[in-house]
Amino acid sequence: MVLEVDNIELNFKHKRILSGIYVKAEMGSVTGILGGNGSGKSSLFNIIFGNLKPKYKLVRINGEPILKPLYKTGLVKYLPQYHFVPIGIKIRNIFKLFNVCWSDFVQSFETFEKYKNQKINKLSSGERRVVETYIILKSKSTITILDEPFSHIAPLYVETIINLICEEKERKIILISDHLYKHIIDSADQIYLLKNGTTKEINNLRNLEDYKYLNDGQLD
Amino acid sequence: MKYLLFFFHFYKTFIAWSIIISILIGLLNPQYIPAIVTKFFLILFAWYVTNETSAKRKLTFYKNMGISPIYLFISLLFVDSVFTIFIIFLFKTF
Repeated sequence: MVLEVDNIELNFKHKRILSGIYVKAEMGSVTGILGGNGSGKSSLFNIIFGNLKPKYKLVRINGEPILKPLYKTGLVKYLPQYHFVPIGIKIRNIFKLFNVCWSDFVQSFETFEKYKNQKINKLSSGERRVVETYIILKSKSTITILDEPFSHIAPLYVETIINLICEEKERKIILISDHLYKHIIDSADQIYLLKNGTTKEINNLRNLEDYKYLNDGQLD
Repeated sequence: MKYLLFFFHFYKTFIAWSIIISILIGLLNPQYIPAIVTKFFLILFAWYVTNETSAKRKLTFYKNMGISPIYLFISLLFVDSVFTIFIIFLFKTF
């Protein structure tokens, strides 16, 4: 399965945010989107998911245009930058609602066992992020969009999440973005850089320095 | 079934206000049609506020299950209307 996104034009008032976008993501690989602050990464993900309506967009799956918001197809799961699970829901209920196995989760994240009957808002911001990232990664979907999954997460958990992403990519199209570029470079099979509202495919990591996303020598 | 569970979580945020408004309608003018029309406009207002503020983010939870906001609000109107009719019926009876 192949997801293609192109012809996107997004303006906020008179400011052009995105234009000349082309992203191709395939099942079996992780597609990383890198870009500076305000480059439009989250807007791009919101457009793909169907949260944000741009002036123009074309989303295709296996070459077929998807004319309705992608979330309505039931094929996609989206981890936004913000906490998306409403407060007041018990953690075990979140796992039930998303059809995700609790015991598998505590095998990967043992310290969470005590939280099973707690409400999501009783967790710290980082712990909440771990739960949200896990349910999005593990729940049934064909396309998974992860916007900054590593932010606020302890280094110990980051490693586990990278391993989970590698497992899940075999049966999913995974789109990922984060400012912790090293994690993206490690986990992504292909990378696009978002700069000046357009995407540039990165075939050589040195291009990230050429495009001034990284300082010269930062990759060494 | 799953949709009902998600809807229940959505309805939970409105239920307290809904009961208060239904009781007020019941005290002031316990008539079915005006009560449902009032609820319709209040839900329309809630939909507008949700769309225009950061509350819109909360809808991502439901969208992740393929549930669109319009379905949620139409379901809200339907369930809340039934609930309102029940409260008005109680006021008319006793």
